Amino acid sequence: MTLGTDMNKERILVWDLPTRLFHWLLAATFAGAWLTAESERWRDVHVALGYTFAGLIAFRLAWGFIGSRHARFSSFVTGPGPVKRYLASLLLFRPEHHVGHNPAGGWAVLALLGLGLATAASGYAVHAEFAGHWLEELHEGVAEAMLALVFVHIGAVVVSSLIHRENLARAMWTGFKRGSSADAIRRKRWVAAGALLALVAGIWTAALQGALR
Amino acid sequence: MNIFLLIMAAALALPALAADPASLLAGYQAEARKADAAFAASARRGEHFFTATHGGEWSCASCHGNPPDGAGRHAKTGKTIAPLAPGADPQRFTDAARSEKWFGRNCKDVLGRVCTSAEKADVLAFLLKRRS
Repeated sequence: MTLGTDMNKERILVWDLPTRLFHWLLAATFAGAWLTAESERWRDVHVALGYTFAGLIAFRLAWGFIGSRHARFSSFVTGPGPVKRYLASLLLFRPEHHVGHNPAGGWAVLALLGLGLATAASGYAVHAEFAGHWLEELHEGVAEAMLALVFVHIGAVVVSSLIHRENLARAMWTGFKRGSSADAIRRKRWVAAGALLALVAGIWTAALQGALR
Repeated sequence: MNIFLLIMAAALALPALAADPASLLAGYQAEARKADAAFAASARRGEHFFTATHGGEWSCASCHGNPPDGAGRHAKTGKTIAPLAPGADPQRFTDAARSEKWFGRNCKDVLGRVCTSAEKADVLAFLLKRRS
């Protein structure tokens, strides 16, 4: 974690390919599940998206332990102290700069993963008819909470991008940011990215064959 | 009026959310009479409505079956659906909010719009006539 006053900045790789693939696939899957939620006509697509969503989160949890530097939970999950300090630095217009996730963002990542798991698990329980009405309400409730947090996340990305004068959304797409070479990761991790794509392809093959009912 | 009494009143009103099919039917019928004072729910009309595709692909019976006192089958996923008629499944139409929610979802799938209170009253009259 370097401070933003570092002058010799170059274009460095920060987000590995699996992390970026996960991020955009999760966003697309969540949007798709939201759009297919209201109609029975799309029920099978909604269910397939739910399995995909759960598979993506399972991958990300594993990647949080074996992934590259900035993707690891150990690099961005902090106690409340750094989160308070970071938020205070924003309020004082002297924002701390973090190459990876900032401490508040780290908490948001955990909350999004947690709500995502709860959404997928409750959706599975609804579809398997483990219980009635209250499960439907729970599934809708956690999905709505996740959507609310997604909007907070998007808002925070916009604000942080403006404050730090760096396009964070583009960095999550290309993997590159400006920073000191000491903070760069070396490899894009193509193999793990391929494994993630194979996982998603496997889920969709199973869904199309009617194995995920 | 103190706040405690208000809360007590609200708490006492809560059990009213738990409904039975006949009172739901009466509620929809009363609602329909605001538009047409002569309206009376009809099981025959309800059956016709339930089995018609209304210009679309599905009818209510596409998933709930006809007669609806047997198990239905989801037209998309093939999953078994518990019988819709309260005579076959006493859990049906005992929760007003749930009934409203599923009328809302399923009417959009079948008709491409929400159902009117008159249509819901007719369908309930039909379902209540079906005894297994």
